[in-house]
Amino acid sequence: MTVTLELNGRRISADVSPSDTLKTTLKHLGVISVRDGCDGEGSCGLCAVILDGKLVNSCLVPAPQADGARVITLEHFSKDRKLGIVQRALVDASCVQCGYCTPAVVLAIHDLLERTKDPSADEVRDALSGTMCRCTGYEQFFAAVRIAAKRIADPDYTERLAPEFRPELRHVGKDREKIDAAALARGEKAFVEDRVERDACHLKMLGSPYAHAWIKSIDVELARAAPGVVAVLTYENCPDLVYTTAGQGFPEPSPHDQRMFSRKLRHVGDRVCAVLAESPEEAEAALALVKVEYEPLAPVLSIAEAKAEGAPVIHSGEVRYVVGEPPEGSSTKGDGRDDPIIYQFPLHADPHRNLAASAAAGIGDVEKGFAEADVVIERTYRGNRVQSTPLEPHVVYARIDGGRLILHASTQVPWHVRRVVSRVLGIAENKVRVVKERVGGGFGAKQDIVVEDVAGYLAWTTGRPVYFRYSREEEFIASRTRHAMEITVKLGAKRDGRLTAILMRLDADTGPYGQHCLTVPMNAISKSLPLLLCDNARFEVKSYYTNLSPAGAYQGYGAPKGSFALQTALAELASELGIDQLEMIEKNRVRSGARIEILRSLGEGREGQAVTLGECGLGEMIARGKKAFRWNEPKPESGDPDWKIGRGAVIIQQGSGLPGLDAANAEARLLADGTVILLSGGADLGTGLDTVTAKAVAETLGLDMEDVAVLSGDTDVTPFDKGAYASSGTFFSGNAALLAAQDLRRKIIAIASSVLGEPESNLSIVHRGLVKGRHGEISLAKLGHMATQGEGHGELSGQGSFKTDHAAFPYGAHFVEVAVNERTGEVKVRRYHAYQDCGTPINPALAKGQIFGGCLKAIGHSLYEELVYDEEGRCLNPRFLDYKVPSIYEVPEDFVVELVPVADEVGPFGGKSVSEISVNGAAPAIAIAIHDAVGAWCREWPFTPERVLRAMGRL
Amino acid sequence: MKFKEYLRPASIDEALAGKSLHADSAFLAGGTYILSDPGLSARRARATAEGGREVVAIDISRIVPRTVERRGRELFVGAGATFQDLLDAQAVITSVVDAAKSMANRNIRNRATVGGNIAARKSCASLIPILLVLGSRVEIAARPGEGLVSEPLSVWLDRPKGLIVDVIIPLETGRRSAFRRWGRTACDISILTAAVSYRLEGGAMRELRIAAGGLGPRARLFPEIERLFEGKPLPRRADAEAAIAPLLSPVDDLRGSAAFKRLRGAGLIADALAGAVEEP
Ligand SMILES: Cc1cc2nc3c(=O)[nH]c(=O)nc-3n(C[C@@H](O)[C@@H](O)[C@H](O)COP(=O)(O)OP(=O)(O)OC[C@H]3O[C@@H](n4cnc5c(N)ncnc54)[C@H](O)[C@@H]3O)c2cc1C
Ligand code: FES
Ligand code: FES
Repeated sequence: MTVTLELNGRRISADVSPSDTLKTTLKHLGVISVRDGCDGEGSCGLCAVILDGKLVNSCLVPAPQADGARVITLEHFSKDRKLGIVQRALVDASCVQCGYCTPAVVLAIHDLLERTKDPSADEVRDALSGTMCRCTGYEQFFAAVRIAAKRIADPDYTERLAPEFRPELRHVGKDREKIDAAALARGEKAFVEDRVERDACHLKMLGSPYAHAWIKSIDVELARAAPGVVAVLTYENCPDLVYTTAGQGFPEPSPHDQRMFSRKLRHVGDRVCAVLAESPEEAEAALALVKVEYEPLAPVLSIAEAKAEGAPVIHSGEVRYVVGEPPEGSSTKGDGRDDPIIYQFPLHADPHRNLAASAAAGIGDVEKGFAEADVVIERTYRGNRVQSTPLEPHVVYARIDGGRLILHASTQVPWHVRRVVSRVLGIAENKVRVVKERVGGGFGAKQDIVVEDVAGYLAWTTGRPVYFRYSREEEFIASRTRHAMEITVKLGAKRDGRLTAILMRLDADTGPYGQHCLTVPMNAISKSLPLLLCDNARFEVKSYYTNLSPAGAYQGYGAPKGSFALQTALAELASELGIDQLEMIEKNRVRSGARIEILRSLGEGREGQAVTLGECGLGEMIARGKKAFRWNEPKPESGDPDWKIGRGAVIIQQGSGLPGLDAANAEARLLADGTVILLSGGADLGTGLDTVTAKAVAETLGLDMEDVAVLSGDTDVTPFDKGAYASSGTFFSGNAALLAAQDLRRKIIAIASSVLGEPESNLSIVHRGLVKGRHGEISLAKLGHMATQGEGHGELSGQGSFKTDHAAFPYGAHFVEVAVNERTGEVKVRRYHAYQDCGTPINPALAKGQIFGGCLKAIGHSLYEELVYDEEGRCLNPRFLDYKVPSIYEVPEDFVVELVPVADEVGPFGGKSVSEISVNGAAPAIAIAIHDAVGAWCREWPFTPERVLRAMGRL
Repeated sequence: MKFKEYLRPASIDEALAGKSLHADSAFLAGGTYILSDPGLSARRARATAEGGREVVAIDISRIVPRTVERRGRELFVGAGATFQDLLDAQAVITSVVDAAKSMANRNIRNRATVGGNIAARKSCASLIPILLVLGSRVEIAARPGEGLVSEPLSVWLDRPKGLIVDVIIPLETGRRSAFRRWGRTACDISILTAAVSYRLEGGAMRELRIAAGGLGPRARLFPEIERLFEGKPLPRRADAEAAIAPLLSPVDDLRGSAAFKRLRGAGLIADALAGAVEEP
């Protein structure tokens, strides 16, 4: 049937089928700004349009119903290169992180401002209530609305959204526009889905219905013969090798234990069969024709089950070691049926007992420490699986060009993708190009090669372009989740609160495969233990295979769970001793000049070393929090007898990349007009990394931001970078860019010296793009132009390669005030203050946005989010209707981020990492505050009303 | 749900005719319930089990009234009114506003209709409990050419038929009412709902009505709880809770254990009893 609608002021007719939605119709019409985060469930709001003056989700509007309607999409506001008022305000208020939600946010705010000129905070919440954003924590949206509203009356209105730092620098420490924000706010083509061509084939995956099973037989003949089918792939015809999907540096500290398809299925959703077809419908139809006979096995659904004597064995193949010997007593002989498990080096594993990896070490003598203690407590803390829910799920577009494989990827690790995919395909790395497109949220889940291997293989073998995008359900059950963990903390202390011993025993559930199986749980230790100074400390980490959804990297890595356990235990001990919890922290925390001995045993892949800390900002951060929360005064009253107020505070830390292991590179090229192109290996996930690297160049070469263009994360074009993980962006990729700019500056000065006839020592580069000597001067444009000439000096380009042995620790103190309803167990976060040291804040408002986003995610994990499984290992809530991520209504009313910089000696301009650390505070701070309010300790997150009531003994 | 055909009847009679002509058909209003797509595995299971059963959609959005207006002591709500229409109308009393606000979020409220909310008959329906306790009636068109018949909502919910055209909410002088809900987050679907209404005469609750959702397959009136308190003075909240809880028999599911829902459901009803107000 035909529908006619007015789309952005233009009358358009479209042929639709009765089942089409307005969303699919708009997509067919070439409208790209209408996104999809929930597969048309209606819960994400990213497909929003304004339909006859109302903001609606276009996935819930039948196309025929839109006949005769007026439809407005973001494109309406992007008619020329200028940004509309709302778009500009969002850019100015640092609200465009990954930008995947931005079109919907623009429409929601327009809709609001049509209704009210001066919206209240509650009206802003209402307006954005249906729009999900996983990056920003929503807080800065309030400022964006305020700015937009003011600018309607006064177009020149501006306000400063973050303090400035480093007055002697031009760009660094000042807010500059995020360099990709305008394009994203305009809804330009930017994401993988925008690159897909009309002739693309569609890949659909049949996932295992069983958590643990063998495939007895699989018959794909009907599927292969079905209309539109291009290829069918199963364990029978896929490449025969095992690898790890972890996007880590090679050799990875993760076992190679996964085949592209295996006969053994190890979790619900595990790959059984892929169909590539001309259309998604044909691919789905063919999948329904695949006949599989399964031999179900008893599943392993918890850590306890995994380690039980006689537990079902999840990986029963032969265990091999590339380097080193199997641990003593471990079993290596395979069952002759299952795939092999190859460790690059020993990880103290015993896979046939479901032990994927383990580690134990420490300093001093904990037994002696406990013997000396006046009080000893031992508590166990649990954290279940959470998913990062990037609103753009895993997605890839693979195509062949000039005999090479091109992967348009939404990835954090372009080079690791290239390495792994080429190895799996058995082709040279120079046959593969990975182009990182804008990433609609990565958060760690996109550190793994989840879709690129199979899409790449099918593109390579069929020669057809392949589009593979996870459904939201697949994203929940078959991408990556945060490892579930059980952490037992034993603390001993003197009466005065000084710790005498710390013992952390951590069991992690790495799921069916071992990606990040050791590093995530180790990170729970290495980012929590060094916060406390104690002569006797020990940890024991074990990581078990289970048949639940795969675990992997997620912002914060293991740290949030380690932090939850250790910080809460410390507060429990304080309460036992009758000491204020902050005083307890104060007595034991790391401080300026402290020697952190425990780092000797926390080497992260190399020999560990004790570190003597320089300046530590924790004292200042705690002082600020205490003041803001009037810590020494009585708590405020809630005004309602049901609601009790409680407060909590914690200290947190993270790292900045992996010293000694990783490397980043960049190249800065001077063009003939004096502008610069920076080729950065860094993978910007919407975090603003490209803006950080651009700033490093502009600052160093006396340029304005618009004089620097950044091309990043393209394995053909830009130099190698380890990728965006382990909080390495600013520190590693930022430093590489800085080094490249400095190298270019050196070369410029050398040439200018010969042109001007002045010694190099007389020359410096000043704003804007001018080399100044005592007598003469020459512009970068002139030098750039000369380089292109016959008598020139060759192209001027600078290389930067960064690696380091130096560990830069960002620290933070988070303070929270909650209200807990004694009758219902509900918890409301009323105040949340994050005081954080990211070294020099390169771009303060963007840094704050990263922190707001991290904190709200962590509040979500602490209070609402959890993947729930039934007794067969099926995930019961792989959808937003039942996996509750915070909306704008969950944002604490008093949500504050303050940057407390302590410049790092190695970081670019003194910068350190900023984003990951911010997820480490909420769980322990909220648990402590709940106890402060109602006297009950919640030791398992999320702290749902039900768990709170149980902790209180009311249920 | 997938549509094999899409009808756009020009009148209510035409819609009813379409409905009787096509056995496999469904009225379509805001579409937020019918179109909301279940997850991938549910979709695949359905495609395999039913060979992708499809229905004929009968779009009633342009023929069912969507006005919200006060007529004397009655509030007329067109079944086609969206939740946002209800919130934007001046005429609506607080307890109904509270219930309407509890519907998901603005994007959904801009589409979801009052008629659709009733007809979907979900246990957690935002509006059904408050409509029930206010003694609402529905006006329905059952057969072409026969005009509208009116019946109590409670009756219709037990035996749904025809097309809901209007909902009539009596606004009795002296009747107090309140709505309470619990969801995991602010914009969550309501997991548990409760609504009450009564008159307070000489310190005693009279003509008490209590309805709740999320505690069984459908939202409904709970006469067994009403009987506990009818004619009695307003109980202390804790006493009410303790008395109500044993009468509730919710089931365990991923949204909460039975024990929790019992406690919480009783709490909501007790809160509603305590918080009921009258509005002019
Ligand atoms: C993200 C999301 C969140 C939600 N949250 C909530 C919530 O918080 N609370 C809640 O109650 N619901 C919620 N829902 C369900 C919501 O879709 C319905 O409650 C809504 O009111 C249905 O209205 P509709 O107009 O969209 O109905 P439709 O989807 O068009 O129809 C719903 C049903 O009613 C029938 N129908 C529609 N109109 C009539 C009529 N006039 N006469 C007879 N039959 C009719 C249809 O045939 C269909 O069976 C949510 C849905 C989504 C997608
Ligand atoms: S895709 Fe429409 S609401 Fe998520
Ligand atoms: S910026 Fe909102 S989802 Fe990424």
